[in-house]
Amino acid sequence: MRWGYGSSLRHLRLQQVLAIAAVGTAVALPVVLVSVGGGVAAHELAGLENAGYQIVVSAAGAHGIVDSHNLTDRIRAIASVAAASPTLSLTVDVFPSGGSPTAVPAEGVIPDQFPATLPPEERDLFPSVLRLGDPTDAVHFDNGTYAGPASNDVMISTALAAAHGIANGTTLLIGGSDNRSQAVAYIVTGSFGAASSLLGPVEGSAVLLPLSNLQVLGGLATGPDAFQHDASDTIEVSVTGGSSVDPAALAQVRAQIQSLVPFYAVTSLGQEAQQLESASGVLTGFYLALSSVGLTVGLLFLALVLVRRVESDRRSIGIRRALGLPAGSIAREIVLDGIRLALLGAAVGVIGGYVLVEALAAWGSSGVRLAAQWARFDPVTIGAIVVGIVALSLLASGVATRVALRIEITEALR
Amino acid sequence: MSAPTPPRIELAGVGRTYRVGEPEAVPALRDIDWTIPPGEFVSVEGPSGCGKTTLLNLVGLLDAPTAGEIRWDGTPVGHRPDRERARLRLKGVGFIFQRFYLLPTLTALENIELPMRALRVPRAERTRRAGDLLEEVGLHGKERSFPHQLSGGEEQRVAVARALANRPGVLLADEPTGELDSGNAAAILALLERVRADRDATLVLVTHNPEVARHARRHVTMRDGRIASDVPGA
Repeated sequence: MRWGYGSSLRHLRLQQVLAIAAVGTAVALPVVLVSVGGGVAAHELAGLENAGYQIVVSAAGAHGIVDSHNLTDRIRAIASVAAASPTLSLTVDVFPSGGSPTAVPAEGVIPDQFPATLPPEERDLFPSVLRLGDPTDAVHFDNGTYAGPASNDVMISTALAAAHGIANGTTLLIGGSDNRSQAVAYIVTGSFGAASSLLGPVEGSAVLLPLSNLQVLGGLATGPDAFQHDASDTIEVSVTGGSSVDPAALAQVRAQIQSLVPFYAVTSLGQEAQQLESASGVLTGFYLALSSVGLTVGLLFLALVLVRRVESDRRSIGIRRALGLPAGSIAREIVLDGIRLALLGAAVGVIGGYVLVEALAAWGSSGVRLAAQWARFDPVTIGAIVVGIVALSLLASGVATRVALRIEITEALR
Repeated sequence: MSAPTPPRIELAGVGRTYRVGEPEAVPALRDIDWTIPPGEFVSVEGPSGCGKTTLLNLVGLLDAPTAGEIRWDGTPVGHRPDRERARLRLKGVGFIFQRFYLLPTLTALENIELPMRALRVPRAERTRRAGDLLEEVGLHGKERSFPHQLSGGEEQRVAVARALANRPGVLLADEPTGELDSGNAAAILALLERVRADRDATLVLVTHNPEVARHARRHVTMRDGRIASDVPGA
């Protein structure tokens, strides 16, 4: 239907543009929210699926996990467990040659177990064999007495090496505090890369040590009279290939570990993935609920524009009805007009949402930029949004049609 | 396809009362008993506000009476639902209005095609028929002209062609020359007489102009919502 009888063409076009803009805004909102939210969730899920280890034992607090070496040995004795590495994360001070003390994150690990628990994308960051002197970290730990010789080998991140000009083979003082006199001399035996983090600048540690060395540095094992609890904060467990993809087998291993440590959290990443998927589903629902507010506003605007156009075309509608054109043909034209505006608005919204996400990916702040880069434009979801807006446009058209069909012919022709 | 035989139109005790915006009902027509035989050319005359247009709207089923009944060939049609009255109008009645009422966004040809589209006449046939009608009213070559590109007389010719589109048996003209100069008015009246005669159609012509009414064979005069006289013409 070519509208326009009795209405200014300029105003008509302005109304059309405004209606398309309103619908476009209403569509862009869910497109951005669902695409970015879904992308971040998918990225996190991928991260879990590629974590390297499949089960994690964790305990929070200063004590964390106690008796870590012994517990790790017991976990490793479980069938299907391929590797288990306790990790202790502490902040230590390093004393670069001629420099002031620098606080850096350090990680203590079992050297020959740690690489097997790394995610695929991080394996290339570390040498396959960590050059940390004591592969099992058993000599220094020595059944909890820490009486054996410390390896005094350390690996540092490439970033730390570059920042302070630390080369392999040089001596690096490392202490549990900024008191240089209490620092211990370590030999730098190698370096490792740093992975980009999800939403922060750099993830990982700057210093990698055998677990027992870090426990001593942290004052968690300083001598026979000291409090010795062989602390770590997590134990990452990877299982053999077949079991790693079998949820039932994984659940069985998790249960066996849980029976060893009834008071610690033992989580399989599959569970976390399920929880994340559930949370992602809830968030998507929330996004759509939030978007429904925008869609409602768009719908109201569309209805107003269509009703306004019906009002301005009273005479045209009256003429058609006077000639005997069936009400259905007039209704059909209004509905088609509403659908046309809705589809144009939806196209504007989808394209606008895409452009907005691309702009955020290019110029947003670091966290926003990363989230936008992970955005996933799922055709099914976007199609559902478009179908939704078209369905809503039928409601708007219905309102306008009702107004049109209530026009008295004889009144309209006066 | 020949034009259908026009129906015999009977109004029995017809009244039309309006209530919109008035504290009391305002009777526009009262107790009209009137019969229009098929093929009649009748004028309806009278001063402004006497109910001429209301009568025409009822005859053409644009409006429904608040009293009495309208019959076409003996069949009551006045109180049929809107949808059915619209269908009867579409097939059986051609309207010609004082202000032409062409759709300004459609070309002359498209305006004429409009009633045929509603009857789902195939595109090729309706374009041919619309072209023939445009030629019949003397506007060959104006197919693609929009109403604002036509003179008043030409617009009314297009309106006559549109009224004839579905080959109706009844033509209803409400002050068809009211907006035209005397030359165009005479041409339109001649056109109406010719197309009516060619088709043996019924033509009801509402006018307040005795010169226009003179063309009819029968003259009805209205006053205060009633038929004051109904006499055959010369």
